[in-house]
Amino acid sequence: MAKPKAFVRKERCLACGGCISVCPQDAILMVTSKAEINKDHCNSCSICVKTCPIGAIIWEGL
Amino acid sequence: MRFDVVVVGSGPAGSVTARFAAQAGAKVLMIERRAEVGVPVLCGEGISQKVDNFKVLEGNRWKASKMDGARIFSPNGTMITLSAEYAGSETGYVLYRDIFDQELAQGAVRSGAKLMVNTGAVDLLKKNGKITGVKAQRFDETMEIEADIVVGADGVESRIGRWAGIKTTLKPYDLETCAQYTLTNVDWPSPYCDFFLGKNIAPGGYVWVFPKSKDVANVGIGILSNMSESGKALQLLDAFIAKYPELSKGSPVRLLAGADPVAEPIESVRDHLLLVGDAARHVDPITGGGLMTAIEGGKIAGEVIGKAVEKQQFDQQTLSEYETRWKEAFGRKLHRNYVAKEILLGMEDKTLDMLADSLKDYKFEEFSTLSIIKALVSKHPSLLVKLTPLMKLART
Repeated sequence: MAKPKAFVRKERCLACGGCISVCPQDAILMVTSKAEINKDHCNSCSICVKTCPIGAIIWEGL
Repeated sequence: MRFDVVVVGSGPAGSVTARFAAQAGAKVLMIERRAEVGVPVLCGEGISQKVDNFKVLEGNRWKASKMDGARIFSPNGTMITLSAEYAGSETGYVLYRDIFDQELAQGAVRSGAKLMVNTGAVDLLKKNGKITGVKAQRFDETMEIEADIVVGADGVESRIGRWAGIKTTLKPYDLETCAQYTLTNVDWPSPYCDFFLGKNIAPGGYVWVFPKSKDVANVGIGILSNMSESGKALQLLDAFIAKYPELSKGSPVRLLAGADPVAEPIESVRDHLLLVGDAARHVDPITGGGLMTAIEGGKIAGEVIGKAVEKQQFDQQTLSEYETRWKEAFGRKLHRNYVAKEILLGMEDKTLDMLADSLKDYKFEEFSTLSIIKALVSKHPSLLVKLTPLMKLART
């Protein structure tokens, strides 16, 4: 089974950009004031999930 | 569209850069991705009184309160008080940060810079490998903004630096992940900015309480990202507030998230390109404060850009005057505090408590290395060994 990918719950995101600054894959962009993860680039490292101060990033499907 | 300079980001670093570049005669465009300058706020809202020296702000609307200094609470609650004179370089005013940013942006515009909101950079323009401007998007319209110099003032998540080939990705141990409330109807009549330390309170960071007016306070937390779990910053902040009835009796009128680079500064100059503020990691790694360095560095950047435009020379060597000057102004301090950050992170809560106990009655008005050492050793001799690396650092 493929690894789960990080996913931004947009209704929670407060656009601080922390996840973008630590993503080793450069897989996250700010799109209209919400972080958005490019699934194809995400390597499931979990850094963004742990970094988000308000728990807006979860594993897709979980 | 063609300008001498395009500044990406209208935070303090971008606006001050734009202001001084425009004052020096450059044709400047500043672009802002958000619909309103300064909104959402992404910071704890404290700044040194040194900001007055730069004369980049008009009136008093941006000031919420003026503080008498700082109080630091060790993990077991022991309090150290720093008078304004010694805490002054880190605390001074508590801000309305949205108004503060807007005042700075207005200063840039009044100096002749143009500002476009709702306009985000999506790539650098390059010709034969040479940076020639930025590609930007405003609603459905994509535009090419040609410029001799691109300034990356695009904050902690800087894309401009990365697009120029500068390594900008932060390690989790170099990022403070933050959450903060503006609480109203609180009962916290402190004339000080308060800081709370401890592994269980804020691992690798601190909780702050900054009074903004009689019954309003900015209460926030920063924790080190490598010690964080999903949503932990906000959970710990809520737990902190719950412990203090003076705070929990209030209600939030605002919740914000933030991200604060506590890293070593990175390469800040390339041909046709400069990075300023958080994008250049110009943040004090101990306090997480970056407003003063953003303004100081922005002024230097604007002045250097002005000269480059006058000479029509935009190569790295010409622009490197910026890097030389910010290193002189605050580079050494940032480096020293980065090393100090690592030493402090290695200290147990017990050590911090001993430190605080030694210093709680210390009169910081008589601040000198020798008198501090005396105060420390007379109470907790074992501290001396633990503090040796910091003492050595202080002498460098």
